[in-house]
Amino acid sequence: MTGQADGKMPAVSSVIGRSCPRVDGADKVTGSALFAADRRMEGMLYARVLRSTVPHAVLRRIDAEAARAVPGVAAVYTAADIPGENRVGIIVKDEPVLVDDRIRRVGDPLALVVAGNEQALAAAMSEIEVFYEELPAVFSPEEAMAGGAPAIHGQGNIQSVTRIVRGDVDSALKEARAVISRRYTTQMVEHAYLEPEAGLAAVVDGLVTIWVSTQNPHYDRREVARVLGIGQNRVRVVQSPTGGGFGGKLDISVQCLLGLAAWKTGRPVRMVYSREESMAASPKRHPCVIDYTSACDGDGRLLAVKVKIVGDTGAYASYGPATLKRAAVHATGPYEVPNVFIESYCVYTNNPTAGAMRGFGVPQVAFAHESQMDLLAGALGLDPFTIRLRNCFRPGGVTATGQRLLHSVGIKETIDRARAKAEELGMLEGKR
Amino acid sequence: MKKRGIGVGCMWYGIGNTGAPNPAGAFLDFLEDGTVLVLTGCADIGQGSSTALAQIAAGELGVNIEDILVVAGDTGVSPDAGATSASRQTYISGNAVLLAARQAKEVLLQEAAGVLGAAASELGLGGGYVWRGGERTPVTVKDILARCRQKGKLTLGSGWFNPLTTGLDEAGQGVPYATYSYATQVAEVEVDTETGKVSVLRLAAAHDVGRAVNPQAVEGQIEGGCLMGIGYALLEEVKVDRGRVGNPRYAEYILPMSLDAPEIHAIIVEDPEPTGPYGAKGVGEPALIPTAAAIANAVADALGVRFYDLPVTPEKILAALTAEGDHKSPDE
Amino acid sequence: MKPFRFRATVNGRPVDLPVDPRRRLLDVLREDLGLTGTKEGCGEGECGACTVLLDGRPVNACLVLAPEAAGCDITTIEGVAVEGRLHPIQEAFLEAGAVQCGYCTPGMILAAKALLDKDPRPTDQAIKTAVSGNLCRCTGYVKIVKAVRLAAARLAREEGAV
Repeated sequence: MTGQADGKMPAVSSVIGRSCPRVDGADKVTGSALFAADRRMEGMLYARVLRSTVPHAVLRRIDAEAARAVPGVAAVYTAADIPGENRVGIIVKDEPVLVDDRIRRVGDPLALVVAGNEQALAAAMSEIEVFYEELPAVFSPEEAMAGGAPAIHGQGNIQSVTRIVRGDVDSALKEARAVISRRYTTQMVEHAYLEPEAGLAAVVDGLVTIWVSTQNPHYDRREVARVLGIGQNRVRVVQSPTGGGFGGKLDISVQCLLGLAAWKTGRPVRMVYSREESMAASPKRHPCVIDYTSACDGDGRLLAVKVKIVGDTGAYASYGPATLKRAAVHATGPYEVPNVFIESYCVYTNNPTAGAMRGFGVPQVAFAHESQMDLLAGALGLDPFTIRLRNCFRPGGVTATGQRLLHSVGIKETIDRARAKAEELGMLEGKR
Repeated sequence: MKKRGIGVGCMWYGIGNTGAPNPAGAFLDFLEDGTVLVLTGCADIGQGSSTALAQIAAGELGVNIEDILVVAGDTGVSPDAGATSASRQTYISGNAVLLAARQAKEVLLQEAAGVLGAAASELGLGGGYVWRGGERTPVTVKDILARCRQKGKLTLGSGWFNPLTTGLDEAGQGVPYATYSYATQVAEVEVDTETGKVSVLRLAAAHDVGRAVNPQAVEGQIEGGCLMGIGYALLEEVKVDRGRVGNPRYAEYILPMSLDAPEIHAIIVEDPEPTGPYGAKGVGEPALIPTAAAIANAVADALGVRFYDLPVTPEKILAALTAEGDHKSPDE
Repeated sequence: MKPFRFRATVNGRPVDLPVDPRRRLLDVLREDLGLTGTKEGCGEGECGACTVLLDGRPVNACLVLAPEAAGCDITTIEGVAVEGRLHPIQEAFLEAGAVQCGYCTPGMILAAKALLDKDPRPTDQAIKTAVSGNLCRCTGYVKIVKAVRLAAARLAREEGAV
């Protein structure tokens, strides 16, 4: 028991800090856990979305008459069929459920086909004709930020900027014993959860009900209600057992399309991405370019860092602004640095959308700040552990954003414990 | 020739959304037979939040975990818990569940106080009994639940928690997170200078999680994060050509597999967070963050040549070793 | 195309139904027989989520056409527990914490079963090799290897007790 009993009652200590087996474990080892693609309902239809094959274009017209005539096809929907708002997005509502004016990436959803069987679905997909006018596209943040670049969302391509300024970096750089400047680049990465995106929707007792693989059912509810133009209380989203997410199932995938199809047809509809569709259409980890300058004194104590981070968020913002803001906040690493100048840019391009992925921009900056720490250590002839211990946060330390850290600042203990384990295992033998 | 290297990677990670409100709520019903229903919006995507939340409720109410049913992620019945992201659910939904449990428990304790002629603040629940000052009383939890029902009192609780943060001002100053997790990983690699292949032999991964509600699940996060970090460091890259994903298949997008998994030594460090449920913070993302950094540093240690561009592929290593042979331009 | 009679033994029970010969074993199991414990992860034999046992041999059900499985003894995850009692491998996966999202779990358990059926005392390397066709993005494989080791020890003890 917490509080007055000070955790002494037997039942408490036996449950917190105990490796209880997963509450959903038995269902998962017997195969009885029903993932979204495992669900089926009487009279169920199947849905698939036609996606753009060009990165940037004005959409002129979609001709779906022939597709609608394919036997077994229940409906083909385009943007005009959306009853509510045709824009979704976690931070910025900049992404269409079905494209209405502009295609901004390869893989943008154009038309939704609903049919009684997979064969009809496939046949109808190939009957849809899309008319568009291609536009010049940009494929790197550098091009996108340059003057005269095609504007992907109407204004400039810089979605957001974060600046963190503290102390006087330029003076600190002059006083420093060692200064290291390097450029780091990181790649685009796929979440590759084992379960591709999937969902099943039906109108049950007047409620649009969606069983879906997701990391945020309440966000899904908000978006489906807005897109259908109905109250949030008319939408019920039930998270199915979700076969991994890692940030890639935070954005809308099948939710709004399924809601639309079930709402319009009045029948249960199931939609499951193929692996290829999942990897081609889902958001990714931001590729980043990081220019990093660090400076320290003769003892290896950090005096200043100057960091510029540019992240390619692709065609839509998704979690990009938050990712780049977090990257900026964490750019010093877990070290006390009195003088900082950090700026990060979240930039639109016509590349695949980058959103949240496990770490939210921090794995990118960690690669940079930890390489810098080793370079500084090398310049001063210090051991990599020593330079980190000399700089890491202690209780009472102040971060780049001016936050005083008071409690639970375990970085030093993790360095000590990881080093002790490495020593115990003989990993450091012949090294230092 | 095979060259061995050691690298260190450290990280910190703010729990929850950056400088923005991100609350979570929970409902709890202490049913008359002594079992408990927890309703939470928190999506368990495999990391084990439903289990951790059940443990937190069980801990507060003094019942067995088997007596807790967590209904998660159903907007028809559960309150909003925000996203399962930013390593936030153990800390934020954990607190919401804890507060909901406390509210329901308070109803029982008030009732028990009347029966025992004690102050509610002296009492606790555990193992089916009411406890007073650390001593078991003869009064059972079921008795108290029955008395509550007879008087028309429901033993319900609701709770919500929003971490104390501020936005960032023009100069980026503020309190973006209420608490941070920390980690250090040490990687040992072997680089084959003929093929450029890097093998990660061992990883020691020490993570300050505040308090491990479920140590096995925390280890699972660390081990999985380490392997994903190996992919980030050495293997994985989405190839994009004129906006098109060029390798949208497992056959072409190479993930670490079982044979790539090194010895991983997960070390749980517990520096309790006063505002966390039982001191807990988060571990989901920290698990992966320092791995690529540690491996890149280990490769530099092995070869004396540093790489500034992820992933560190055999092609890049061979190219760099060839260039080094030509120009002799080592690391720093 | 004309359906053929798909006759096989699935989880110890005879099955006899008309099936389009172009259909994959995976679809027959999931759609026709409702055995959705077998998962589809890629449809190309790369991830192992659809692993089932065909006459005791692990195969990717997405790469097997229905006619190729006719006449075989097929085991899916639904056939691993006996009379409602978890198989020692399933128990070990639970106890060792080898399950996270659970999507790779059915295939992983069947790959492990195929291994332990022919090699009851595998080395860690043999375990890693046996599940090398089964991708897991959550666990880092550490607890999966541990679970298979634990199951092997349990099975050996059960064997000894008989």
